[in-house]
Amino acid sequence: MKRDKKIAQLARKLVELSKEGGVVTEPKVNEVLAGLKQVQHRRYLTVLKTFLTYIRREIALQTAVVSTPLTLSEDSLKAIEAHFIKLYDRPIKAITQTDTSLVAGVRVRVGDDIYDASVAGRLQRLAENVN
Amino acid sequence: MKTKLIIVLLALLSPLSFINGGDEQNVAHEGHSSSNLEHAEEGAVTKDSKLKMITEKFGVSLSTLIPQMVNFILVALALYYLAVKPVAKTLDERQQKIADGLQYAEEMKVQLAEAEYERAEKIKQAAEDAQKILAEAREQSKEMIEKKTQEAAAQAEAMIRKASEATEMDRKKMLSDVRKEVARLVVSTSSKVLSRDLSDAEKQTFSESATKELVGSES
Repeated sequence: MKRDKKIAQLARKLVELSKEGGVVTEPKVNEVLAGLKQVQHRRYLTVLKTFLTYIRREIALQTAVVSTPLTLSEDSLKAIEAHFIKLYDRPIKAITQTDTSLVAGVRVRVGDDIYDASVAGRLQRLAENVN
Repeated sequence: MKTKLIIVLLALLSPLSFINGGDEQNVAHEGHSSSNLEHAEEGAVTKDSKLKMITEKFGVSLSTLIPQMVNFILVALALYYLAVKPVAKTLDERQQKIADGLQYAEEMKVQLAEAEYERAEKIKQAAEDAQKILAEAREQSKEMIEKKTQEAAAQAEAMIRKASEATEMDRKKMLSDVRKEVARLVVSTSSKVLSRDLSDAEKQTFSESATKELVGSES
């Protein structure tokens, strides 16, 4: 357990090293991986797995997944991006995802937070309120 | 009893003393008539001859009389000590036993009366106790019946309450299930209807306005 804690700390430090201007970038991650390979850590595989988990979480936190049934306009996407950068006070990049089950409207996911302004979501909330 | 037996023995001895007395009387009579010696001698000869005749006739002689008397006294003494005294003792003991028995019977009678009285008292007491116990038992049974009745009523009430609660819960669950199902159907139907009826332009417009709403509301 103590060893896992140390590995987690190491992975968090590696994630911090992978950031450039507060954003995780691919070149930095490659640098970190190269350095890790050179160090030849005794539990290299476990460190890699933990690093991957933390990197995924960090990318999710820095990404706003905008789901819509149709493609959103560039202005709307930028407005969403600006809004969440302001809201979370960190760099966030918006990416789009097509989801026809939403019927109409948008649903944005940032990390574990979901912001739903879709017709399907509203109907679902209505159904929950009826229950 | 002893006295009576002694009297009987003396009575048996008396004829012998009469005989001896007769002899002495004869001897005294002989002293008085010394004056008339001749007549007396004649009379004495007559009397002697008569006495002699009587004694000879009855076989009484001085040589045998004394031993006979001694024998008789010995026999009387032997009878007294060997027969009369034990018999008298036995009779006294029997009389004492009879007296004791009578006294015992009297005591027993008294004890029997006391026992009878005690028995009657005990029966009376037992009857009173039995009545008391019966009354207590009746009271207890009455209380128990009341208690059991109350318990049964409470149980019945609890069962009815539980049953009604279960029914109410079932009703609520059914209602909830129905609501859920209706809501699901409504949502499903609405989604299908909306996705079929809304045009792409309308969907796009709604999406743009939703974006504005989301951005506007959160900021």
